[in-house]
Amino acid sequence: MENPDPMSRAAEQEPVGPVPPSAPDVAAPSSPAADAVDGSPQGFDIPVLEPDDDAPRVIQTDEGASDGLAKCSRCGATEISLNVATGNLRCNFCRFEWSAQSAADAFDLNGDIGKLAGVTMGSGSSDIVPSTDEVMTFKCSACGAEVLIDTASSTQARCHWCRNTLSMNQQVPNGAVPDMILPFKVAKETAIASINKFVQKRRFFAHPLFRAEFTPENVMGVYLPYMVVDINAHARLSGEGEHQTRSYTVKVGDSQQTRYDADLYDVVRDFDVHVSDLTVESSSERLDQITSQNANNIINTIMPFDVENAVRYDSNYMKGFTSERRDSNLDELSPIAFTQAEDITRHRVNSTLTFYDRGVRWTQQDVDVRGQRWVSAYLPVWLYSYQQRKSNGSTFLHYVAVNARTGETMGSVPIHQGKLLLVSGGVEVAGIIAAIVLTALGI
Amino acid sequence: MTTSAIVTAVHDQVLASGGSSGDDGGFVGFIFLLSGFAFYALMYFRYRNADKRHRHESETEATLLNMKAEDTFVRSKTGMSNRTMNGANSHEVRGARKKFF
Repeated sequence: MENPDPMSRAAEQEPVGPVPPSAPDVAAPSSPAADAVDGSPQGFDIPVLEPDDDAPRVIQTDEGASDGLAKCSRCGATEISLNVATGNLRCNFCRFEWSAQSAADAFDLNGDIGKLAGVTMGSGSSDIVPSTDEVMTFKCSACGAEVLIDTASSTQARCHWCRNTLSMNQQVPNGAVPDMILPFKVAKETAIASINKFVQKRRFFAHPLFRAEFTPENVMGVYLPYMVVDINAHARLSGEGEHQTRSYTVKVGDSQQTRYDADLYDVVRDFDVHVSDLTVESSSERLDQITSQNANNIINTIMPFDVENAVRYDSNYMKGFTSERRDSNLDELSPIAFTQAEDITRHRVNSTLTFYDRGVRWTQQDVDVRGQRWVSAYLPVWLYSYQQRKSNGSTFLHYVAVNARTGETMGSVPIHQGKLLLVSGGVEVAGIIAAIVLTALGI
Repeated sequence: MTTSAIVTAVHDQVLASGGSSGDDGGFVGFIFLLSGFAFYALMYFRYRNADKRHRHESETEATLLNMKAEDTFVRSKTGMSNRTMNGANSHEVRGARKKFF
């Protein structure tokens, strides 16, 4: 057997020049009832985060990658998968193990963030071209059969005639092949135990149908799409801070009330900030986290991942797992990332504000993004899902998710509302009786 | 309202009432009157975890460099009834994706 390139593809692999993210306006909320006491300026100026350089620098992350049969270098078999215990790829025929190159080394992702200027991005982060096919056609070089790969859920498929595995490693502008991948580290058995433990702690008010149907063995290993962002910015925050100088009680009518004296200061902080490995979901479905409608916040909660250990993308890491394709571009994700970077900046600065024990009110927040680096990644999640059918006919998809690197577990368990309302009613009645007794006793 | 918000609100009320001993009995009774609602909220959030999210503001690595600080005294304020500064926003988080509605 030769090691060929695929003979046909449903779409051309023309490199697509990424469109620089547009400068986002990060809306700032008005300051809530901030100035009743001292008459200082109301509201924020709306900060505009603009990259200094409009021309993005693209790191070609699929250089040397090939589609088709990816063979074991020792025996030539295509039965290659991740050995979760070691984090290496393993040939399941001759047991030879190896690892893909570290993404940080390959793409210089550990470089000084302070030297970032303008937009730098991995080629796997480039804009998605809507006309690009989701289902790709490859010709198996072992037997000549045509094999389809549905990139919505994988970048691998087995040839139905000769049983060889075909991989897709070259990037096409449909978001299926990212710049890097973080292999699973938590074994399935461990994930099942974590999910089981999580649910067992929440059995009493769990919906009886869920209790009956709960099968943690059905957990799925999923690679979910994210963008990992480094940001080099300069920030200038200005506002006012209060330091308490005295507290005392005064008599108002029949009661005693506390009063506070404080010194008011103008506060300015001017500094550079380097944000490293800020991670943002790049699937529009996962970005939707309205908790009354879905449980995507559960998957969000298990972040962060140790993305510094990600490796160059290799489809062989996907065998036995499924994936979701990225469907969001930088111009949609930039406002989210920049707003979160502002949050990070504001919280880090708090370590310099301990003197202001009554708080600080920022009235002006200017964050100038000088450089940004975007890399797309598949990150590993063990996902147990349960579709709840409600009495009104609607459905709600619950998740119990395990971070397949750190083991952090979070979940949403369907509630037996009738039982919870009944018990809450009992607690309420007991509380009312207790309140009456306490009042009667004058306590 | 999230579990932590409920706890914080109750905590704040306890603190606020700390200086007025004459109101303590009424406040304790008020807490008991809310016990059923508090129990429901506590269990709801324990099972659904609708209040949980990735704390990007504290869980993301960041470094501050070349810090320049300017702190200028403006004036003293007296007789304020609030324990904390009005409109303090240094702990505000705007980038969270999680919303209830």
